[in-house]
Amino acid sequence: MNEEQTWALEAQRGSDEAFTKLVETYQTPVFNLCYRMLGEPELAEDAAQETFLRAYQHLHRYDQKRPFATWLLSIAAHYCIDKLRRRKFSIFSMDEEDEDGNPFEIADLDSPNPEAEAMKGQTRARVQAMLEDLDPTDRAAIIMRYWYDYSEIEIAESLRLTVSAVKSRLHRSRKALAGMWQEEETRVRAERRTYESPAF
Amino acid sequence: MNHQPFEEWLLDDKPLNPIERRELDLHLRTCARCASLAEVGLTLRSAPVVSPAAGFTLRFQERLAAQKIAERRRRLWGLMVLLIAGSGLLAWLLVPYILAFASAPIEWMTAGIGYFLFLLTSFQAMTEATAVLLRLAVNFIPPYAWMALASALAGLGLLWTISIWQFSRTAQGVSA
Repeated sequence: MNEEQTWALEAQRGSDEAFTKLVETYQTPVFNLCYRMLGEPELAEDAAQETFLRAYQHLHRYDQKRPFATWLLSIAAHYCIDKLRRRKFSIFSMDEEDEDGNPFEIADLDSPNPEAEAMKGQTRARVQAMLEDLDPTDRAAIIMRYWYDYSEIEIAESLRLTVSAVKSRLHRSRKALAGMWQEEETRVRAERRTYESPAF
Repeated sequence: MNHQPFEEWLLDDKPLNPIERRELDLHLRTCARCASLAEVGLTLRSAPVVSPAAGFTLRFQERLAAQKIAERRRRLWGLMVLLIAGSGLLAWLLVPYILAFASAPIEWMTAGIGYFLFLLTSFQAMTEATAVLLRLAVNFIPPYAWMALASALAGLGLLWTISIWQFSRTAQGVSA
């Protein structure tokens, strides 16, 4: 039994201190998943807090045979999927966007190379924007695969899908993302060509 | 253009040997679709992990404490409503009897004692009748019928135990 499972066991027996240790250990993975799913830091914070609250309330259902992280991220993913499905019906989008509909990404101006940081920021924003175009369950599968290195079996367990469904969702999403990437590249190249002076 | 097996390698993140690696590199130079697929894979893998703002645990502890207080308050209110409603209902049901008892207490007490004695004698009579029936039944019902009855009861007991076990098994993956 590893340290996390010991804490989980102690928390199941009613130790709030042990649960706090679990919150400290898993706050970043949970927050990152929520952020990648929802796309906004405020919503991600709220979702991550709610995830830990639900984990605390349903701790008796946690099976020691499974890794605690998988169980916790499964709660977070389901919460975010529900939230996104509900948000789909809302009229107004609360996303902060510029005139072209791209989400804001603030570059780190204190970094040694602001230009490179700005480029990185643009790529991050692009990845996030592409993720937001995916179906919520596909998005959760992609995040678990690429940010957490989950196997197809682990994703299937977390999202309550079959392994073959996970595989086909991952393939479909990767192809969709590649299509979006290609379109964006073409658009950027065309834009560059437009702004280039014919004299050069 | 034929994208196989390159597309499959990229989608499955297959570990490649040097020959396969070279073949894939050559294909990626000429195929924009597979190049995008590879680029997206690399970008996803290199995307950073985002951390929450400092003080997340503290904010969680505050939220948990608030939740516990709200839960306790909700339970207390529920209990109070239940108690008040139960007391009201009981009072509403008992008032006519209390009034009747207050107007003629001796008659009520006599009727009560009579009813109690009736219940007692009825119970005794039923016990004796059951004992007589059982004595007769032992002689009339063959042993295999007793065995079948005992097996049926055991089967029902087993079924009940299995159902309880199935329902009380711990569920995983809370979606609440």
